Amino acid sequence: MMILTARTLAAAVRPPYPYGEELVGQFLFVLKLSWFPMTISTFALCLGAPGLQAAGVLSLFGALDRLGGFFVVTAVRFIGPIVTAAVVAGVAGTAITADLGARKIREELDALQVLGVDPIKNLVVPRFLALMVITGLLDVFAIVFGLTAGIVAELLYGQSLGGFFATLFTNALVTDVWASVLMCSLFGGIIAVVCCYKGMTASGGPAGVGRAVNQAVVIAFMGVFAFLYVFTAVLLASNPELQSIR
Amino acid sequence: MVGWLDVPRGWFESFGEIARFGSRVAGLVYSGRVAKFFGESLRQAGILILGSALIIWAFVFILGLNCGIIGAYFVRSQGAPALSGIFSAYCDLREGLPYAFGYILSAKVGTGIVAELGAMRISDEIDALEVMGIEPVTFLAATRLLGAWIALPIIYLVGIGIVYFASYLAVVEQIGDVSSGGYLLIFWTFQDFVDIIFSLTKGMVMATAIVLVGCYYGYTASGGPVGVGTATAKSMVVNIIMVHIVGMLGTLIFYGANPRAPIGG
Repeated sequence: MMILTARTLAAAVRPPYPYGEELVGQFLFVLKLSWFPMTISTFALCLGAPGLQAAGVLSLFGALDRLGGFFVVTAVRFIGPIVTAAVVAGVAGTAITADLGARKIREELDALQVLGVDPIKNLVVPRFLALMVITGLLDVFAIVFGLTAGIVAELLYGQSLGGFFATLFTNALVTDVWASVLMCSLFGGIIAVVCCYKGMTASGGPAGVGRAVNQAVVIAFMGVFAFLYVFTAVLLASNPELQSIR
Repeated sequence: MVGWLDVPRGWFESFGEIARFGSRVAGLVYSGRVAKFFGESLRQAGILILGSALIIWAFVFILGLNCGIIGAYFVRSQGAPALSGIFSAYCDLREGLPYAFGYILSAKVGTGIVAELGAMRISDEIDALEVMGIEPVTFLAATRLLGAWIALPIIYLVGIGIVYFASYLAVVEQIGDVSSGGYLLIFWTFQDFVDIIFSLTKGMVMATAIVLVGCYYGYTASGGPVGVGTATAKSMVVNIIMVHIVGMLGTLIFYGANPRAPIGG
């Protein structure tokens, strides 16, 4: 997988660039698959976990306006990225593995190589770039829908929204947002490499493609969560301004 | 090429069929007809324990680390580092663990079932079962559901222990703002036995839904080796949405009107 990453990166920057059309196609493909699960999932997760659960505790203190600050920590730093990654890995990643695995089983990849077409440059690179871009952009929408869920939770508790927005905007820093988007782009890269690798090495008859999809999504989830831990620890430890009281 | 509304339309279309298939399988388990194949159920439970338990535990361990550092830095920003136990207790037990369990279960077990049953369907083994006089839904789907009900609660309870340990490591050993005793005092104060029951209920509802969705897509797979891959990918879409909806409804039902925190009167 590391070799595939290196070769993908090398092929992405080295001319010629024959993958423009495929890149747009994959971009739209992932977007069409992911927008509905992403919307529902972020809204549900943010309404349940940080919304109602935290609002319940905060209402005991009479401090429901602090929910905005809490949403910066959870929705922007944590839930937005993991839901985006889970949806992209589960929906788009599985589709990519199934697609490439089917081509491998039908020996189309070998045929491409015989024709002198580099499968990495023409199949993996556009998917890699498309997933990196789209995961970062979907994260913005995940944050928007997460905050919508926060607003719904405030309204369920009969609270005015002024306090929510006030603490939200004083606590949200630009660093938070770009870190979230950057983290998601890297998630997209991880997912694309894992899923393409598993798809291109699928083998073993009818069960092979299904098993490849299974392994791909498990490895992608583990990789994404482990990376999330490392990235969050580094980000919070290296940016002390994220930890001050506002 | 897929259209913009294909995913929601497909989800709504298949939802009814999945519900019908699922109620049929659950009925087979409840009416005891699966008892004929109890040995097969135990074998499926064994496969779950040997094949999936370690991956589930590794995943919830990483979740516990994440909950720990995020909670520790959050309470530090509020100026109350001693209270990171509150965030850990809520993030681990009430919300985080069911979701993490649902994610990794749909990834490992759900798609695994689709791949396995789909391969059987493609190579006509399911028809062969029918010819041999064994009812395939009972033998393949109902035994898997019963096996999941046998094995998964125990895996889940062990997972709770692991996620607690991971959060402890992250908060006390890694960040180190709070002493071990101070963390554990707050941590154990903000949870009780009922919370574990609620959390387990959420996790088991998700697990049941995931196993049923997996059985449905595997059982109805068609279109050669490629069809198995497509069915696997489709089942993952349904599972991701299902996990989140079950999690939200669980929170609404269990904690919607009562935060169950030991604060105030």
